[in-house]
Amino acid sequence: MKKIKVSLEDITNEIQGFYDYKKWHFLTLNGLALEDNKLEVQWIFSKYEALDEIVIYYAEIEYKDIIASIVDIIPSAIISQRELVDMFGVQVEGSSKGLYLDEDSLQAPLSGCSI
Amino acid sequence: MFNLKKYRKKSPWILHYNAGSCNGCDIEILASLAPKYDLERFGVVNTGNPKQSDIFLVTGPVTLRSRERLVELYMQMPEPKVVVAVGSCSCTGGVFRDMYNVEDGVDRYIPVDVYIPGCAVSPELIIDGLVQGLEILEQKTKEMEKPLKLFKESTCEEGIVNRRDTALKVGKIDEKN
Amino acid sequence: MSKKTINIPLGSQHISLLEPVRFKFECENEKIITVDSDVGFVHRGIERACTTKFKFDAIGYVVARVCGLCAITHSLSYTAAIEKLLGGEITAKSKYLRILLLELDRIHSHMLCLSHTCENAGFEAMFMRIMGDRELVMEIQELLTGNRIQFDYISIGGVNRDISSEISKKIIANLYEVKQRALGYMDEFTNNWSLSLKFKGIGALSLDDAYMLNAIGPLARASGLNIDVRNEIEYLPFDEVGFKMQTHRDGDINARNLVRLNEIINSIEMCNNILEGLPEGAIFTKLKGKPKGEAVIRFEAPRGELMYYVKGNGTAMLERVRIKTPTFSCIPAFSHIFVGENYADAPAILASFDPCLSCTAK
Repeated sequence: MKKIKVSLEDITNEIQGFYDYKKWHFLTLNGLALEDNKLEVQWIFSKYEALDEIVIYYAEIEYKDIIASIVDIIPSAIISQRELVDMFGVQVEGSSKGLYLDEDSLQAPLSGCSI
Repeated sequence: MFNLKKYRKKSPWILHYNAGSCNGCDIEILASLAPKYDLERFGVVNTGNPKQSDIFLVTGPVTLRSRERLVELYMQMPEPKVVVAVGSCSCTGGVFRDMYNVEDGVDRYIPVDVYIPGCAVSPELIIDGLVQGLEILEQKTKEMEKPLKLFKESTCEEGIVNRRDTALKVGKIDEKN
Repeated sequence: MSKKTINIPLGSQHISLLEPVRFKFECENEKIITVDSDVGFVHRGIERACTTKFKFDAIGYVVARVCGLCAITHSLSYTAAIEKLLGGEITAKSKYLRILLLELDRIHSHMLCLSHTCENAGFEAMFMRIMGDRELVMEIQELLTGNRIQFDYISIGGVNRDISSEISKKIIANLYEVKQRALGYMDEFTNNWSLSLKFKGIGALSLDDAYMLNAIGPLARASGLNIDVRNEIEYLPFDEVGFKMQTHRDGDINARNLVRLNEIINSIEMCNNILEGLPEGAIFTKLKGKPKGEAVIRFEAPRGELMYYVKGNGTAMLERVRIKTPTFSCIPAFSHIFVGENYADAPAILASFDPCLSCTAK
């Protein structure tokens, strides 16, 4: 498992340079509530036909930041992005709310502030 | 076990709705309709249409997004109808109790006649529960067939005729006399 | 011909659906042009409950309730992640028993999917036949674990029940029967004319699209993409027990069915190999400590790749449990396949994906 730290602005460029759709398999987008009102966003990839080769790109952001979308590079990321928006209450370019949560349910359940 | 003749009067059709369960109970409902357990020998047919069904099988604790659908389906079913809650989580919320997107149990929204516990419910229990549901369905049908009868005299106070409480079911007259 | 389009909803309650999901198809005459899906009906909030409500040693049984069909893969993935964080080694026998149940679960899940596909294609008799034969597998699962669906067989440190020689004889006998039936289905699925009308050439996904949309599981393998997590992990000895990747080139419904049938037969071989060479020893080792650090674990559920990300901070409550389920990452591919197909084929195509919505929404 390899972890690479990137800044929020570079993420599309980094993934554009790294991602070869015949070699790497996009697993998911993951969020992790940190202390001091911060959030770690992880883009997790695994290699086809290799033994346990996982690469995680991660960025530390604040909740008010807008996360760049990677749908142009990886079309299937759209659903992970919508989930991230719902569960953490952050903004991702071009992803709307309401995949899981209704208006009267608990908003942003996994973000640190609501615990 | 039970008198088959009595239940052959009506072949109950079931409507199944998953209100947020883990699939386990839904598979067992499917398995109890399949050859080994074979609910179809009681005339039970799985139908997708609420307007043609008599027994409502609900699985799962009710999630926030499925509650309107649940009530809507219940309202669309014609009387008499029986609601069977299948699985621990539809009875009480089960392992999902107190999770943020879950209402604990089906009976918060619609009246439930038979509760079947178990995680996951075994097909034998589903059959038992359905047979009990058939009994209740029979009772409800009889209840509906009883005619209404006006038996109380209307009262007249100060020139105003009061016909309140004049309509009572026949069964209740027998108790009173 | 008019260019006017019609909106047709499918779900959330429908006879061909086991679980609530709503699709909105926009059709031009018979052809589907766009698909809109709503998958959030079953969202219960398990990820949050794992970090606020339950202690780490109970979560293995909670996450099994994410999905009834792949319950064993969920609890196995979570347990493996915790074992990785605690740093203990479990006995060889419990590893083999875990594979055994994993493969039995795969057999019954694939059989359910095949029968469901037949039902949605209008072949009720085949549905009844496969469901009847599926009970052979359910019987041995009940013998082995004590329950038919939610097994709660795997615990942190090993498995909960030992296997006796009578049980293993019964398993071998029943699996032999299942194999004969599966070969029979293979014949039926390849040669039956009315099934081929509904299955062959319908709902196809090309190899390039499978790469592009990150398809996984039987859906991707039917298009010729070599992705099977059993091939990519070293945690459990899948290569020792005779795992073979099953792929097909066509990518249509028929190809998916054949991949599933081949996997059933391969899984039966694996089970037989395990029972033949099952080592002696304990089935449980006690692991001490509290989980600290982060781990990513992947396993092959019947529907594809399942990923768990677990982060602990040295206390009994975990910091984060992320569940990435197979159907969740296949949804973009599903929507892509529907476009351009006839509306009448939609239920059969949907059943051939073998979607698991309670996995998707958690």
